[in-house]
Amino acid sequence: MRAVVLLSAGRHPLSARPAPVPVEMQAIALARGLGADVAGLHAGAPDLAVREALGQGMDRVTVLRIGEADDAVAALAAALAADPPDLVLAGNRGRGGEDSGLLPYLLAEALGWPIAANAVALAAAAEGLAVIQARARGARWRLVVAPPAVVTVHPAAPPALPFAYARARRGRIEEQEGRSAPLVPRVAEERPYRPRPRVIGVAGGGSAAERLRAATEVAGGGRVLVDPPPEEAARELLAWLRALGFSRSADE
Amino acid sequence: MGPAGAFVLLAWILLASVLVAGARLVLRWRRGRAARVDWWAGLVALPRRYLVDVHGVVARDPRAARMHALTAGGLLGSSGLLLLGVVPALRAGVVYWVLVATSFAVALAGSAMVARRRRPVRPAHLSAGGFLWLPVWVFLYAAGGLAGAGAIVLTASPGLGFAAVVLAAVGGAGLVSGLLTGPIRHALAGAVHLVAHPRPGRFAGRRESALLPLDLEAARLGVAVAEDFAWNRLVGFDACIQCGRCELACPAFAAGQRLNPKKLIQDLAAASLPPGARPAYEGSPHPGAPPPPLAAGPIVGAVLHPDTLWACTTCRACVAACPMFIEHVDAVVDLRRHASLEEGALPEKAAAVLEAIRHTDEPEGNPLAARGDFAAGLELPVLGAGESTDVLLWLGAGAFDLRYGRSLRALVTLLRRAGVAFAVLGAEERDCGDLARRLGDEVEFARLARANIAALNARRFARIVTADPHALHVLRNEYPDFGGCYTVVHHSALLESLLAEGRLTPERRLAGRIVYHDPCYLARYNGETGAPRRLLDRIAPERVEMARHGLSAMCCGGGGGAPVSDVEAVRRIPDLRMAQAREVGAQTLAVACPGCTAMLEGVPEPRPPVRDLAELVLEAVGEG
Amino acid sequence: MRVGQRPRMRLDRRGVEAVPPAAMVAAEPAPRRRVVAEPAYLIFAVAEAEGGRLSRHERQVLGAARRLADPGGGAVVLVAPSLAEDAGAAGADRLLSLAAAERYDLEAATALLAAAAARYSPRHVLFAENEGGGDLARRLAARLGAPFAAGVEALSAREAVCPCRARRAELRLAPPFLLSLAPDRAAPHVGPAHEASPLDPPAAGAVRRGILTAAPLPVTAAEVPLAEAGLVVAAGNGVKDFAGFLRLCSALGATPGASRVVCDAGAMPRAAQVGASGTVLDALAYVAFGIAGAPQHLQGLGRVEHVAAVNTDIHAAMIARAELAIVQDARRVMPALLALLEAGG
Repeated sequence: MRAVVLLSAGRHPLSARPAPVPVEMQAIALARGLGADVAGLHAGAPDLAVREALGQGMDRVTVLRIGEADDAVAALAAALAADPPDLVLAGNRGRGGEDSGLLPYLLAEALGWPIAANAVALAAAAEGLAVIQARARGARWRLVVAPPAVVTVHPAAPPALPFAYARARRGRIEEQEGRSAPLVPRVAEERPYRPRPRVIGVAGGGSAAERLRAATEVAGGGRVLVDPPPEEAARELLAWLRALGFSRSADE
Repeated sequence: MGPAGAFVLLAWILLASVLVAGARLVLRWRRGRAARVDWWAGLVALPRRYLVDVHGVVARDPRAARMHALTAGGLLGSSGLLLLGVVPALRAGVVYWVLVATSFAVALAGSAMVARRRRPVRPAHLSAGGFLWLPVWVFLYAAGGLAGAGAIVLTASPGLGFAAVVLAAVGGAGLVSGLLTGPIRHALAGAVHLVAHPRPGRFAGRRESALLPLDLEAARLGVAVAEDFAWNRLVGFDACIQCGRCELACPAFAAGQRLNPKKLIQDLAAASLPPGARPAYEGSPHPGAPPPPLAAGPIVGAVLHPDTLWACTTCRACVAACPMFIEHVDAVVDLRRHASLEEGALPEKAAAVLEAIRHTDEPEGNPLAARGDFAAGLELPVLGAGESTDVLLWLGAGAFDLRYGRSLRALVTLLRRAGVAFAVLGAEERDCGDLARRLGDEVEFARLARANIAALNARRFARIVTADPHALHVLRNEYPDFGGCYTVVHHSALLESLLAEGRLTPERRLAGRIVYHDPCYLARYNGETGAPRRLLDRIAPERVEMARHGLSAMCCGGGGGAPVSDVEAVRRIPDLRMAQAREVGAQTLAVACPGCTAMLEGVPEPRPPVRDLAELVLEAVGEG
Repeated sequence: MRVGQRPRMRLDRRGVEAVPPAAMVAAEPAPRRRVVAEPAYLIFAVAEAEGGRLSRHERQVLGAARRLADPGGGAVVLVAPSLAEDAGAAGADRLLSLAAAERYDLEAATALLAAAAARYSPRHVLFAENEGGGDLARRLAARLGAPFAAGVEALSAREAVCPCRARRAELRLAPPFLLSLAPDRAAPHVGPAHEASPLDPPAAGAVRRGILTAAPLPVTAAEVPLAEAGLVVAAGNGVKDFAGFLRLCSALGATPGASRVVCDAGAMPRAAQVGASGTVLDALAYVAFGIAGAPQHLQGLGRVEHVAAVNTDIHAAMIARAELAIVQDARRVMPALLALLEAGG
């Protein structure tokens, strides 16, 4: 089996230094776990983050050189269609670019391949490739996709192979001219990130008055009950949990 | 030829065997990497290293010292005398044979002491196997020699003399047969080891403790197989006599982790032999480790369990306890360097820490600009490039720890109180690299060292003060290899001098029994055990010592990346250390390191409170 | 309580002023349902509505959809595989069932959504940015080639803001056709319930099948890795009955955690340890039974917003950190809570 892992020019959220995107490194580990022949693919300028991926279980990376204003999907799709692998793995979100997580879907659409999202484990199955998918709150689904397919990897996947300096030193980067297709620029203003308040402690049900109380009294306020009877304490705890959307079995 | 001639002949035959065995050992060692050795200086220093340095360590156990002096002295003296007997005039005299008989008698007494060491019950830290035969061979050799020399002196029948020669020959053969893999090889290897020691700075009372830089351009980084060690390191492994002092000192072994430093050295010595030729080891194993497979290949995997590598706290207790000056920690770090740089075979959390260091210059991924946040309201002056101050305060990784921030606040308050002109580096202080280096990531260490040195060299200051002994060690002893030479002072020394000069005046004396726990990187790595004690004696009337203190203090378990390696254990090292403090009735445990603070404060209550020296001084001086 | 007073402003942990949900118009539920009979335009809010109920995050999506609909007289259409019973209260004017896409058939759901979008021409389609909603949103974006804003953190009729460049920058743009909303970034709808009348589902188009089978795997909360768990209930020194503790966790659907002391003592596995030297949580809520709250333990709660604590010591750090603090013996509260759950609450 041949697997291609898409590598992006990741940036560290704190230092902004080139840093591989963790889910992409986890994707390498998943592909290696399948016993696949793994290669990396990057569209854009050669980047230090891509070079670092060589230290985490990747022996060779192909860099498709395209311009800043070029469409990475077009370049990747052209390269993959020319020499299709069985599996294309990508992170479920990037870290350092637009970070929309849309690229694997556009790529799958362009190639006409199926896509399975948020993989935490991969295994060969009789009909194709079994993908264990992470769903909200720790739930897991098992999908079977017919290769060739695109699979995105979820952060809950097993940890990446640790970085080894000497491996990165030995790894090969091959540069090719990528297919150039201009990207339709989107009308958006980019500005430094501003932390915004989160909506906190909003109850999911009850009367408006209760919800108001929930929004203003419970949330972050530090309500202290001193020596309540254990039964009352239990009721308060349960009400608090329900307001957060947990333990709803009782109202069903 | 009479018995006298036969004796001399035996001695020469034994010498020839020793030389043959020595040559074979040399061939084995030569498979290691090349090393620069100053032979002349080593040879000149040998007597002193042997008689002063080695004996100084051996003599910590006076009985062992007597045993060794009698056995080694007797064997070397008698054999040397017999070799001189090749001069016919000499072996014709009675005085000569009286001397020979005397020296054999000394060896005989030694053999009795060697035998007594494992009787009636063999202590767990001593090995069995070949070691049980050692006194037998010495006894036969010495008894035969004594009888033979006696027979010659008393002019008894030649038959008796020849019988004695045969007895001595049997003993001598037994000893010589152990020269390649048996216990007695420590004698040959030990002599070469002392001459060609990889760290000559360990002798004559000096304590060279800095890790040696790694050539990052080398084709293979670190040590995978025995041949990757420098040849004189291989000699060091063969110099081990399995006395088990390292085993007694090792905190990881005490905690039941898969590390017995004595077995580690034996494993490394065995790794240079083909699996079939490896000598049996009959001492304590690595706790909980499966019996070693007899496999060839990389040391980690074929000989050692990876946990053995990561259990080490780099506390140097084994190194300090070793009478042969073997470098356990260097070996561990060499193996870790390969695991880290070549294989990426790291414990999960250790890998995460190194990744954070790679991308943020900080092991926990904290923003460097937030290092001063603990001092909210204290307004730390930041030293800009080109500016100057008296004391540059190196905050270290502990500044990001909620608990340790309290200790640093106390230190900053005291510096202000004493009128010390100080400043911090602010966002220009990167992690010092201690953790990266102990985990084997020399690449990141070198990068951090260079970045920090560039920041430091752009500023002027008289000295660096830090409360973190790990940072102190790295800045003081390991940055010079990268071009950064600074005067580095631990906060215990600075506070002590401020108290001594009267710049800080204790308002009251602290009540209760205080016990001081020495940080490894301050005591064993840097020999600083006096200032913290003098400081405490100024503010606390009731200071007591734990049994293991000063240079032989037990580690808190927090060094060498052990907390992030999180190796399986039966007990926790800090719990063991806290029990030792409780044994002497500690009501307060004084510490002087952010690592020790975190580890010892992690011991479940009830336990004495753990307080940094700065906090204690501040309490004595008064908050106001 | 008096109605209409200005809601009290609060600070959350990040030191940013929190805005309580806006649009609180009435204290008591209005007797009549609000009806938007002739909507000027439609806003789709897509939800999985697992078990026929809207999650907290999905209510927030509906709330955000209302904010896009209300200024221009638009109507909110809840699009879900099954019809959620509380849709009206959550602010839905219309319901559009994607019943054919049950069992989370993503490819069928994508085709149905595309058909619905073609038939009803909504102005915007909103999704919850989580594993399921985010997947569907991107499938639709790729299928339609439509503009998409991912993980929107601030949304109004005029602009959407979403993070980019490793959250060091953000994009500010006019709300595109497709949006996914990050959790806890918009207030749910409060106030009178809406009509929630059904719309005709569109005819399903052809489905391109690449996913051959899909089925949930049985996972109990106890098996969920701590770092991924939504609700963690942890035991400390004040807990003695660990069998009872685990029963309580399972009754609550919570992932069990523990303090270091408990793990050191071997009462809980090391993998359950919460704290700087164990796992740092990303849970929505955390309940601490009998945990004093050593600094290292509190460091493990880094990103948890909602903390409840039961501890006998009113001065415990854990009590100070909790938004619901109960000064009582955990050994008495735990059985009471378990009894309450077993009695059906």
